[in-house]
Parts: sequence; structure tokens; C-alpha cells
Amino acid sequence: MLTYIARRLLTLIPMAIAISFLIYLGLDLTPGDAVSHMIPPDVIGTMDPERLDELRESLGLGKPFLVRYWIWITGVLQGDFGYSLAGGVQISKIFLDRLPATLELSCAALVISTILGSILGTISALTRGTFADQALTVVGMLGVSIPEFFFGLVAILVFALNLGWLPVGGRTLPGYDSFWDRLPHLIMPALVLSIMMTAGVMRYARSSMLDALSRDFIRTARSKGMPEWRVNLLHGFRVALTPVIVLIGFRLPVLIGGSVIIEQVFQWPGIGKEFLSAVRSQDYPLVMMVALFSVMAVLLASLIVDILTALIDPRVRLGD
Amino acid sequence: MSDVPLNPGDAVRSPPRPRTRRDAQFDRIRDREAARQGTKLRGGRFLSKFLNNRLAVVGLVIFASIILLSLAAPLIAQHDPKSPNLRAMLDPPSAEHWFGTDRTGRDIFARVLYGGRVSILVGLGSALLSALIGVVIGVYSGYVGGWLDWVAMRISEIFMSFPQIILVLLLVAILGQSLLNLIVIFTLTGWGGIYRMARARMLSIREEEYVQALRSFGLGPARIAYKHMLPNALGPIMVNITLSTAAFILQEAGLSFLGLGVPMSVPTWGNILNAAQDLRLLENAWWVWLPVGATISLFVLSVNFIGDGLRDATDPSQQG
Repeated sequence: MLTYIARRLLTLIPMAIAISFLIYLGLDLTPGDAVSHMIPPDVIGTMDPERLDELRESLGLGKPFLVRYWIWITGVLQGDFGYSLAGGVQISKIFLDRLPATLELSCAALVISTILGSILGTISALTRGTFADQALTVVGMLGVSIPEFFFGLVAILVFALNLGWLPVGGRTLPGYDSFWDRLPHLIMPALVLSIMMTAGVMRYARSSMLDALSRDFIRTARSKGMPEWRVNLLHGFRVALTPVIVLIGFRLPVLIGGSVIIEQVFQWPGIGKEFLSAVRSQDYPLVMMVALFSVMAVLLASLIVDILTALIDPRVRLGD
Repeated sequence: MSDVPLNPGDAVRSPPRPRTRRDAQFDRIRDREAARQGTKLRGGRFLSKFLNNRLAVVGLVIFASIILLSLAAPLIAQHDPKSPNLRAMLDPPSAEHWFGTDRTGRDIFARVLYGGRVSILVGLGSALLSALIGVVIGVYSGYVGGWLDWVAMRISEIFMSFPQIILVLLLVAILGQSLLNLIVIFTLTGWGGIYRMARARMLSIREEEYVQALRSFGLGPARIAYKHMLPNALGPIMVNITLSTAAFILQEAGLSFLGLGVPMSVPTWGNILNAAQDLRLLENAWWVWLPVGATISLFVLSVNFIGDGLRDATDPSQQG
């Protein structure tokens, strides 16, 4: 098992280095440098070019590319993510401020879609070929075909504007910070964000359950005289769930990416909304750091999923 | 038969050589293949299976009618999609304006039709382009292996470790917004999936007997890969093209909705929906966002139905 993890790490670390290198290259190639962002544009025109060069030299901008990359990456590893161009705020501070909101939203969506998706998928598999199964299949198809933000708009119209049950957006009202005050804000974005993933999990759970139900141990359990619900739930569902959990592990980073649009629709103050405004204002350092962070999350999640699969299924770690 | 693309592996075949018995054998095989092509035996079975799938046929009809309506936009639409009419701002649907008018008095019916042209072009165009790149590289490198395979695999791994929308937005921030850039960005971010699928398919049929037979006849790797193995991988490739068309149309809609996709001056489905970010319009002018939202959903749904039908018709393991 340890050698398997070591082998996976050996392929992941070069990947991470290559991607961080590409991201730094992109950062380096975008127009403007630190000096042109530190000095107001109307002052920079009147300054002596030699003085500017001196300033660049003192900041280490004259050093060779690889040396600058090394300084940058060691800084990143120590938590120095650089500064946003908008207001010169430390990017690590933006992350600390915004990440909890994004995590809250995506975790809520993850929990909802896992539970709902596996239950619906199981029902669909158990009632295979009937009207209920076909209806669920079509509903699942609708779930992946209607744009998420369109669901969001309709939800805002119905539940916030017409019925007035839930707030239009935002995460909290000033002064009302307790969990119960915040919960109504979370309901709509979390549900809307979970729709597409619920449909995906449902589809996957259905085929996985069908696969499990055709195995020999199910027939054995039935022939022992075990009640049908026990066969389905204790034997079928449990076996069918393992691949579904693996699928969810893979989807976690996708979910963080997918929350970008939903955060905008519901004015949710998370990383995704911050990322969008950074893209709009061409705040390259922030854009690149969010990208780097999301890639690292993907790599980490894939490592965890690989280890989990290897734990469950010995064939994986012994193969290749 | 001599117009096969040349590549390093074919170099051996280039000097003219005397005809042998093997060539005569080949001619007979070729004749038989040519004779078989007329009968459409394979196509017939595939078609009847596809047509037996009710949802797939419904999907095909919707898909074809939306495309035809968009193509025939100049014949159907009575108004110019771009010219504002300040005397008819936010008019509800009427005999004059079937879907009403938007904030600047532009006819929404015309905008949906013309917008369909651009949205479908982006979706279908990017899917076909990324399939072309993915299949050309994947089929050859999956069969031959070697350094090309290694390099392509690493590049696709790098692309696929980014959450899709983060990578797309990152590239939008760097390359800027335009119709062509969007297609390029979608192609860049989308080829990896289809490349891996084509490659995996080739790996699994590489050791089949007919491939070994062809190799022993002395056929070059390019001809074996593209002419004889590719047709056996075509089913999953077609399914993948339809599914990525659906995904790209959703992504274009999402990006344009955020104002970061196709420039606002060009009508696309996402750009029309952009107006619905204004809560007053969302509440009081349903015709601005509902028809176009329904059109996107219907189109993506039809593409997904077609994709499912194709999968059932081409993949024997998915039957039942």
C-alpha cells in the first residue's frame, strides 16, 4: 500500500511542478509588471526611466526567469501568494475571507446531491423498466440539460420574488450571523448547485445498482429466504455505493469550479465570485492564484480517490 | 488507394516494388470491401436500432427543427436582430413581435433565431474541432505508442487537471473575448477527453487478430490505425461528440450570461439571457428570458437524447 502511494506521489509531484511552472509563465507573459502596478500611471510617465530600472532591479525583476520562478514558488509554498492588483490586498487574505463561503456552499451541494442522487438512482434501478424508472431517467436528463443559472433565475423568481420565502441572494445580513439566520440564504444556491450533480450521481448509481443486483451473492441471499428489502438495501445498495463514492470524490473539484456561475447568480461572496471579477478586471495575479489553487485541489482529490479505490480493491494497487 | 497520408512509419513502403501474391490477395479483400459498402448492412441495423429508441427520434426531430429554423432565420424573422426600436421597448409578445422586445426594443424572436446560429456554431464547431484533434492524435498514438503518445498524454493530463470553467475563464482573461477565441478556447480545453477515449479504445483493439493480420500483410501503422481500426472506435467517438456539443452550448450560455463569452454585440442565446440578471426584468418581463432559456434547454436536451440513442445503438454492452 505504501509503495502504491509513493508511486502515485511520484507521478503527481512532477505534474504539480509543471502546472505551477506554466501558471508562472502565464503570469509573466501577461502585460505589465509589479512596478507598473505599484506606481500610478500618471506618475510613471514623468519618472526617470533609469530610476524605474533601478526599482525593477531592487525588486528582483531583472533576474533570470528560472530564478524568479524559484523565488515565487518557494514564496507560494510558505503562504505568500502575492498581491491582488485591485487595492493591493494580499491574495492569501482574500482566500481566507472567501474560501469558507465557497466551501460551505459546495459541501452543502455535495451532501444534497450524494444523498438525493443515490436514493433516486437506487429507486430507478429497483423499478427498472417501469413508468417510475422512465420518468426518473427523463427528469435526470432535464437536470443535465437545463443551464444551472437558468434554474437559479427561475428559483429566484418563484421563491424569492413571488413567494417571498427565501432571500434573493447574499450569504448573511449584517447583524444576523448565527447559523439559523444564514440557513435561508444557503438553501437556494445549494439546491440549484446540486441539481446537475444529483442527475449525474443518479445515473451512475442506477447502473452501479443494476450491476450489483445481477451478481451471484444477491441470488444467494434471495435463495436463503432473505426478505427482498434486505437483499436490496444490505447487499445491493452497499456494494453499489462504493463506485458512487469514488465518483463523488472526482466531482468535488468540478463542483468548486461549477460554483463560479451559481455564486454570481446568487451574489454569494465566495472565491468564484471573486474569480469572476478578477477575470473581468484582468487582475492576473489573483486569476492565476485561484487557478493554481483549484488545480492543486483537483490533484489532491484524485490522489485521495486513488488511495481509497486501492484500499477497497486490491487489484488496483497490485496492477501495472 | 495511394492517397494515404505519409508518415515516418510509411517510409519503408515508398520505393516501388514488384507486385507479389500478397498484393493480389489484398486486391480481392479490397474488392470485397467495396462490394459490401453498397449494401449498407451495418448501417441498416444501426439505423433501425436508433429509430426504435423513441426519445432519440424525438431528440433528432427537435435538433433538426431548431437548426433549420436558425439557418432559415432571414426568411422567418420579420425584424433585424440588432436594430433597436426605441418606440417598442419591452413590449410583451404580440402579432408584430412574437416573443416581445427587449430593453432597447430589439425583436426577441429574431434574436433567438439568429442567436441560435452563433450558439450552435460555437457548440458544434468546438465539439467537432476538438474531436478532430483528439481522434487524429489519439488513434495514431494509441496504436503506435512511443514518445508522441507519452507527450500527448502528459499534455492532456495537464489540461484535465484544471476544473473546466476555471481554465476557460483563465484563457478568456489572457486571450480576450471574441467568437473565434471562444471556439479556440473550447477546443483547447475539450480535446483531452476525446483523445483519451479514442486512445483507450485503440489500446483495447490493438491486439485483435485482424490488426495482427493487417500488420503481417505489411500495412503501415497510419493506414492500419486510421482506415481499419478507427471505424471500430467510431461509436463511442460519436457519442462523445454529441455530449461535448451539449456541454459546450451550456458553457457558452453560462459564459455569455456572465458577460464573458461572445461579445455582447453579437446575439447568442447566452447574451440574450444576460438581460435576466436584472431582477426587475426577471420579475416583470418573462418574455425576455423564458423563451430563450427554454430554447437552450430544449436544444441541449435533444442533443443528450441523440447521444443516448447513439450509445444504445452502437454499444452492445449497454443493451437492456
